[in-house]
Amino acid sequence: MTDARTADTGTVNRLPAAGLPLTAAQSGMWFAQALDPESPAQNTAECLEIHGPVDPEVFARALRQVTSEADALRVRVAEGDGGPRQFEIDDLELPLHIADLRSGPDPVADAYAWMRADLATPVDLARGPLFAHALLRVADNRWLWYQRVHHLVMDGFGYSLLARRTAEVYTALAAGEPPSGSPFARLADLVEEDAGYQVSETYDKDRRFWDGAFADRPEAPNLAGRTALPSRTFHRRTAHLSPLATDRLRELASSIKATWPEVLIATQALYLSRATHSSEVVLGLPMMGRMGSVALRVPGMVMNVLPLRLTVSPSATFAELTRQVVLGIRAARRHQRYRYEDIRRDLGLLGEGRSLVGPLVNIMPFDYELTFGGARAEAHNLSAGPVDDLTVNVYDRTDGSGLRIDYDGNPALYGPDELALHQSRFLELLERVAHTGPHTPLAVHSIARESELAQVLHEFNATGRPVPASTLIGPIEEQAARTPDATALVFGGERLTYAQLNARANQLAHRLAESGVRPGALAAVAVPRSLDLVVALLAVLKAGGAYLPLDPDYPADRLAYMLADAEPACVVADRPGRVPATGVPAIALDRLDISGYPTANPSSAPGPRDPAYVIYTSGSTGRPKGVVVPHAAIDNRLRWMQHEYPIGAGDRVLQKTPSGFDVSVWEFFWALRVGATLVVAEPGGHKDPAYLARTVREQAVTVCHFVPSMLQVFLGEPAASACTGLRHVFCSGEALPRETVREFGRVLGDGVPLHNLYGPTEAAVDVTYHPCATGGSGPVPIGRPVWNTRLYVLDAALQPCPPGVPGELFLAGVQLADGYLGRPALTASRFVADPYGAPGTRMYRTGDLARWTADGEVEYLGRTDHQVKLRGQRIELGEIEAELAKDPAVGASGVLVREDRPGDQRLVGYVTPAGGAAPDPAALRARLARSLPEHMVPGAIVVLDDFPLSPNGKLDRRALPAPASAGTAEGGRAPANHREETLGRLFAEVLGLDRVGVDDAFFDLGGTSLLAARLVTRVRTTLGAELTIGTLFQAQTPASLAAQLDAGNAASDHALDLLLPLRATGDRTPLFAFHPAGGISWCYSGLLSRLDPGQPVYGLQARGLSGDPDVSLPATMEEMAAEYIDALRTVRPHGPYRLLGWSVGGVLAHTVAVKLQEAGEEVELLALLDAYPSDQWRDSAIPAETDALTALLRMAGYDRTDELTREDVLATLHREGSALAGLPDRTLSAVVDIVVNNARLMRAHEHRRFEGDVLFFTAAAPRAEDWLTSRAWDPYIGGRLINRDLDCLHPELTQPARLDEVCAVLAARLKELDHA
Amino acid sequence: MAAHPTLTVEQIRADVADVLGEDPQDIPVDENLVDYGLDSMRIMTLVERWRRDHGTTASFVDLAEKPAVEAWAALLGAVS
Repeated sequence: MTDARTADTGTVNRLPAAGLPLTAAQSGMWFAQALDPESPAQNTAECLEIHGPVDPEVFARALRQVTSEADALRVRVAEGDGGPRQFEIDDLELPLHIADLRSGPDPVADAYAWMRADLATPVDLARGPLFAHALLRVADNRWLWYQRVHHLVMDGFGYSLLARRTAEVYTALAAGEPPSGSPFARLADLVEEDAGYQVSETYDKDRRFWDGAFADRPEAPNLAGRTALPSRTFHRRTAHLSPLATDRLRELASSIKATWPEVLIATQALYLSRATHSSEVVLGLPMMGRMGSVALRVPGMVMNVLPLRLTVSPSATFAELTRQVVLGIRAARRHQRYRYEDIRRDLGLLGEGRSLVGPLVNIMPFDYELTFGGARAEAHNLSAGPVDDLTVNVYDRTDGSGLRIDYDGNPALYGPDELALHQSRFLELLERVAHTGPHTPLAVHSIARESELAQVLHEFNATGRPVPASTLIGPIEEQAARTPDATALVFGGERLTYAQLNARANQLAHRLAESGVRPGALAAVAVPRSLDLVVALLAVLKAGGAYLPLDPDYPADRLAYMLADAEPACVVADRPGRVPATGVPAIALDRLDISGYPTANPSSAPGPRDPAYVIYTSGSTGRPKGVVVPHAAIDNRLRWMQHEYPIGAGDRVLQKTPSGFDVSVWEFFWALRVGATLVVAEPGGHKDPAYLARTVREQAVTVCHFVPSMLQVFLGEPAASACTGLRHVFCSGEALPRETVREFGRVLGDGVPLHNLYGPTEAAVDVTYHPCATGGSGPVPIGRPVWNTRLYVLDAALQPCPPGVPGELFLAGVQLADGYLGRPALTASRFVADPYGAPGTRMYRTGDLARWTADGEVEYLGRTDHQVKLRGQRIELGEIEAELAKDPAVGASGVLVREDRPGDQRLVGYVTPAGGAAPDPAALRARLARSLPEHMVPGAIVVLDDFPLSPNGKLDRRALPAPASAGTAEGGRAPANHREETLGRLFAEVLGLDRVGVDDAFFDLGGTSLLAARLVTRVRTTLGAELTIGTLFQAQTPASLAAQLDAGNAASDHALDLLLPLRATGDRTPLFAFHPAGGISWCYSGLLSRLDPGQPVYGLQARGLSGDPDVSLPATMEEMAAEYIDALRTVRPHGPYRLLGWSVGGVLAHTVAVKLQEAGEEVELLALLDAYPSDQWRDSAIPAETDALTALLRMAGYDRTDELTREDVLATLHREGSALAGLPDRTLSAVVDIVVNNARLMRAHEHRRFEGDVLFFTAAAPRAEDWLTSRAWDPYIGGRLINRDLDCLHPELTQPARLDEVCAVLAARLKELDHA
Repeated sequence: MAAHPTLTVEQIRADVADVLGEDPQDIPVDENLVDYGLDSMRIMTLVERWRRDHGTTASFVDLAEKPAVEAWAALLGAVS
């Protein structure tokens, strides 16, 4: 026995018997564990590998000593009345497992298996112990010391303290010396410091900083593109940055006065930005959080995660991005004690399950160079805590091996291979950054690896194929010469042989030449589907011209526009009057005798570079644009098609696509170039599935095309299953849903191949192709490039995206159009220089979002500009559609954002039934709610027999009907009489609903004051009953309104009373809302549907609205407030009170609050909507009548344009059907006086101090009165001002979209008060 | 063993300014340097630098506990 053995009973610093509260940091971990008590995810662990002899007994004594010194380790956590507390575990036995594993075949593997099993065991926080040790001998002179601690009691820095101290004590004991005194401070010190912070001014300052920095609640993109609940485990991939690159990274950092972690964080931001197609990213940075704190000496849980928001622009240099990181971290560090969990809570992200940050970058610069009695040891982290998304752990090892970079991923989001890919790309990017000058723009960097670049640029695009220089028409003339007697064309009962067709087309061509049709010229063709249409198209081409199809179904305005824009040499129509009269010479085929013209081919044949056709597509600016496609482009396209899907004499191709849609181009010409027969569908036939099925069968069609939504319709047609004579079915024009492919297989079997093609009009119809396997899964790719065509998926810097990473799709090669007719600037902006092609070549920017698959196909992901934002949330509609389509009862699905009532945007889903199924909207919503965040679940789902289609056969989104009832009509009481029934119908009509129950309240269903005015008018005209808006406030349901009308007292105008009962019912403490400048409180009616139905709401309105000349306006703000207090005491004699006011109403609410407090009452809520104290107004001019008129119009929701007088304003209100227009003119005049009076009183008012917190909403869009600031309230508020910025102007605050935001905060606060 | 040059308060300021990429004149002697961007990495750098160039013995924790120039001068035995 050595002396040391007697010396290891070091005194312990025990916790107080009553225990200690948790620090905020510990609470965060406690709640995370409470969410999933059985999860071992919060077990953190480290393994120290000791190279040399270890005495297990001495080691155990050292651990006991260190455990006795580290009180934070020895706790358990129990829930008490005041929340969780930590207590000392009595008679703690050191949890130490010692094993000698040398006898096994692979001791190290056995050791790691043991450690992994231990790590996977959840810990009971209430019992403890919350840590464990193991000492495993894996070789004669090699030991593994395993340390596992729950994250609630220890963080990374804490580990380093424990390990260092253990090494120190062991070394002393092993040498027979007493260890030095404990270097640790107490857990109680930490708790005390934390408690002090919670009530400090710094805390408030920090909170304001974070609330301000993230007020707009930015998206936090992550690599997975979706979020998931935390898993119980994680995947880890470990890699090292080479020592050389590590050194270069350090040099690079110091050359720009940064540190290597900052450079690494900047590189991660660059990677994330490019990989997620986002210019703004938010990284999470775990922070030690101990600087200047007693925590430096406490092994415990202190760390915090801070969000770092960065903008990554391709034109910025790496040094600039790093500087952004340095300054961002510097700013964050000043407020680093404010908890991550609290920032999320403050921003309201908790309830929505939204992330504050994307990936975490966890830098651990603390290397332990420890020795145990002379034996060297190195640390390996095994688990750094729960992984919500992705954590990049970086360890700086001073042994010269470079940085160790671990990628830990949530298995619910990242597979091991995916994780490895991101990691290897990041490491390669780091290498490149390290070897590139810091002042180079970020645009030079691609996130793809060298091998991936070669793949996506060259391997996937190896499409070179020599083709002869020819045209669209040349091969048809050659075919006509080869098989003159074969059937070229069938239309109903008519048919033409190749020779007949060629002769007729030639005769017309000679005629067209007389009208100036020649190479380079345009001829418009406005002929419904018929033999003549095909003849006319061929004739234009034969004359050398390019054809411009004019769909006769298009509106006249659009046809006129196209003619004026394209200025064709002539327009060929089936009859006069087919197109609107413009200056363009018209040739009407029904009046034309071409029998005298030669039947031989004209000599005016076009060349490969001449334009073949011009097709108009809609422009994002609303002005259609003509795309000019040359012969060589479309010739390449048709040659590829014939090679890929050879057809010949026995084949019959169905022509059903309208000529204005470019798919029709291959339909018209492919068959005629190869000796097959073209079967022309009747006009309108393309929309009739029964007709199509019949035609395919009767005409023995072997090749046809469908837009996916039309294919879905076609497959629903019972006769479709008989169309098994088809040899090729092509889809293009829209994303092809996987479900449609499966349905295709079910209906037509595997014998009919389905091909998915993709291409914009700007690249000769199609540029990619994919054979659809009916048994496949996942999104249907658009496939590989066709001959002589290259596809690029590029990021914001126009650098290639590696496979799997979304970017914008660019096209290059021979199929590109010449550009837009007569629009050089637009052409130059969409057809840009191809940086990856031969000098002088161009590429076309599609605006489509896409990604490469690993094996060289492209997946279409939507439009780059197709993103929808609803109530501030970014939504990919395709995701919701895909989710709907997963339901077996659903055939096709569509989702859109509707605005059936102004300012009221909502998400609506549409589905068609699959087979004989009957989709249930409620079940579908429940299904969506299961897999999508709440904001992505449509409020209504509409089942349609089939989808409305546009002239081109695409889903016509604008023709989708508004959803039916959102009311509670179903199951409600039936109307008791005619009046109730009529009123219910009128309510529904005005609200845009299918039905409204007799007991459904108008404002609960989303009624606004504007809609209220409409309803009042409709009731007046329909029932001849006299009523006012005020009646509606008092009687909000059809039943109660009917009763009011029956009682005959509906016309008395309570709507102008001093106290307006917006909702008098409910068991909660009433909310009193004070009128803005105009004196009317109807603007608060929008609160009703957004607050708890049990929350009564009263409006306070100005005296004198009746316009009675005997009523004088108040002389002071105090007088007004006193009067309002009398009024509100009639419904609530004593506090607590809840007050709210917008604009002047806020000043009033504050004044009333002060007076109530002075009278000894409690005011538990004071909410101010963009209201500013009198000091802020004193120096500005009192509004004149003209300003008051502007205000009056604003109250009604209009901007003043040219209304000059009171009369003009009244006329506008009447014309626009404003709720205010229903008021007598004397009231409107009174409103003008009230506005002016209120402005005067407000400037004269002297505020006193309100003792309490204020909930404040700032209309934060830039405004003229830029001096207005909520800080001006500081002298008049005893408590805190909790501000929320809204991106809107002052007048917009009570509009629906803003009220949603206001009420989200307000409702939460009211709920807290209800439960307090 | 070579004698190390003595550390001065001005040298401390200059070194702090250097790792922060700031001008020494902008580094106060009595304020919390965390507010000026000092972090653990940079303190480690300074600990190493002063140990190497001036033979100081203060640890990371010693410096991190009171991150201000004056407090460090006392800890590091710097002369003014």
